[in-house]
Amino acid sequence: MGMGKDIFEITVNGLKLVVIFLMMVQAVPILVWLERRGSAFIQNRLGPNRVGPLGLMQLLADAVKFLTKENFVPDTAKPLLYYAAPVFALIPGAVAFSAIPMSTPIQIGVFEMFGQSWGPYTFLVQGYDIGVGIVFILGVSSLAAYTLLMAGWGSGNKYSLMGALRASAQTISYELALGLSIVGVIMMYGTFNLTDMTMMQQGPLNFSFMGYTVSSPYLPNWGIFFQPLAALLFFTTTFAESNRLPFDLAEGESELVAGFHTEYGGFKFNMFFIGEYGHMMIASGLMALFFFGGFGIPFVSVVELQEWAAGVTATATGASALVAGLHFLSFMVKFSFFLWVFIWVRWTLPRFRYDQLMDFGWKTLLPWALANTILTAFIIYAASL
Amino acid sequence: MPLGGVIFIVIFIALFGAFLLWVASKTGGKPVYNTIKYEPYECGLPSVEKKDTKVSVKYYLTAILFILFDIEIIFMYPWAISFRDFISTGGGAFVFISMMVFIAIFIFGLFWEVKSKALEWD
Amino acid sequence: MTADAFLFWFLAIVTLVSGLSVILNSNPIYSALCLAMTMVGVSALFVTLNAYFIAGVQLIVYAGAVMVLFVMVIMLFDLKKDLQTFARGMFTGGVKLASVGLIAGLVVGAIKSAELFTEKVADNPVTTGNGMESTKALGQILFTKYIFGFEALGVLLLVIAVGAVALARSKGGTHEQ
Repeated sequence: MGMGKDIFEITVNGLKLVVIFLMMVQAVPILVWLERRGSAFIQNRLGPNRVGPLGLMQLLADAVKFLTKENFVPDTAKPLLYYAAPVFALIPGAVAFSAIPMSTPIQIGVFEMFGQSWGPYTFLVQGYDIGVGIVFILGVSSLAAYTLLMAGWGSGNKYSLMGALRASAQTISYELALGLSIVGVIMMYGTFNLTDMTMMQQGPLNFSFMGYTVSSPYLPNWGIFFQPLAALLFFTTTFAESNRLPFDLAEGESELVAGFHTEYGGFKFNMFFIGEYGHMMIASGLMALFFFGGFGIPFVSVVELQEWAAGVTATATGASALVAGLHFLSFMVKFSFFLWVFIWVRWTLPRFRYDQLMDFGWKTLLPWALANTILTAFIIYAASL
Repeated sequence: MPLGGVIFIVIFIALFGAFLLWVASKTGGKPVYNTIKYEPYECGLPSVEKKDTKVSVKYYLTAILFILFDIEIIFMYPWAISFRDFISTGGGAFVFISMMVFIAIFIFGLFWEVKSKALEWD
Repeated sequence: MTADAFLFWFLAIVTLVSGLSVILNSNPIYSALCLAMTMVGVSALFVTLNAYFIAGVQLIVYAGAVMVLFVMVIMLFDLKKDLQTFARGMFTGGVKLASVGLIAGLVVGAIKSAELFTEKVADNPVTTGNGMESTKALGQILFTKYIFGFEALGVLLLVIAVGAVALARSKGGTHEQ
């Protein structure tokens, strides 16, 4: 099953998955707070600042309020789908996010516990290492369209249904440009594996073109310098995938009340929110991974860091933990930056009109993604001559 | 591939979500039934029973065109991944040209759909 | 029972139960959602066969695209009336029996002819690796041996797109001009 070879490893791997999921869930209130304070900052307001220092206790107050809301199911709703939709909203985000490598593995040496010696282990700082990482993440996140359709149809409300149809038509339209913008990235790295991609982006900028080797000590060896167009297209489409402004046509308040979650309130609404932020987190993680070196620290390769850590700490376990911790910090810095960009853009750009949205997806992003694919293939082929 | 882990986390999230909903239904106030309150939301007007909602056929068209293009894009993945191998074994030009022919058909299809106004939303 | 065998039986039961509920549910929306679940189960079964890329494609194309179209279209059109006209009666029963027989015959015939026309290469050609090798092997064979089939598929998809657009614009649709 790939979970481990003895009970200790299986338990740790299972706990790791649960911890990653709970981390995602816990990050949502913090992001909501950041979004409210950030929007206030952008719009020259104060934002929530009464409950606790900097309004931080607002998160707890919100959670309590969500929990005390009465449990409401409209008469026209189909109860099974109505309840299944918010639960299902959590799944694609968490399952896909668990496949993103967040750091180098932690090596644990032989140790004694319960009167038995437990062999050396290698624990990855990610939920599971999927060989075909990108394909898996694309496939799992494409299942998110069912959440919208289930919620929209299960509510038995025409605004919900219209919102769900709009949202799913939008999601699938932008999935094309999303899938196509990655083709250039795959071609460049020659692998689907996310850890391998990160490992290829170590050290300073360095590549060979038509027999010449070009290197620059001033720039890191990040994907953005090889695939700038793909980065732009990918980041744009992920906004549409997570149904956020300027692409939040699904819940265009002025036309559709609140889109597919019109009839949801309290904790069920909160779960849709967690799903939306889960998509943001996948997008930010993948953005950091494909184009900004993943967990790698700029200019420092993993091997160099391991050599340095071996000199600092006494045990191999401690050294690998130190290296993993530093890489995790590096990943989190990049990850948080892109999450902030998501919030920043939301409060900067106005909403598209529906025909503009569809035109943008089919007639602008898709041709440019095709052009990027052709150009990348041509350059890779020309560089090999 | 750790399929066991994927299945484990899916089942865990499903149970966790169901548990959250159950907790929220226990801590929340007692629902008081009221016919008007339990109608679907309709901005305050009496709700109109929908018998045959007319929905634009464009949604269907968008979805079916999405499937077709999605299949074409999926075929580019094995190509993208083995492109460097083909180049190193000398088959680069052949594979490059054959994919360009495929992409030309793709572009022609996209161009035709834009031309035939199948992607116009009004 | 080993862990792999347990996983296989678990997935097989999930897939078959959701496949059965597709035909036993009278509500088309639940049927379509169950079919999507079947697709996900088939994808997981591909993973147990070490066909990772095919599993991903199954997830992206079938579960993520084809079934979304089905669910969307069923939600658009209320199918209750059609359901009642086709659910009862002697004639319908006869048609149902005949179609079941036809499909069973086709399946048996396909299995028989598969034994006749294909050479058996190996019992289990791919058993290890993280999916990259088998995907690369797929690319190798797709762009050398089956290159004409691949190009013909491009043309076929173009024809389908033209047909879909023509159907959607024909008279009697919801979008008459």
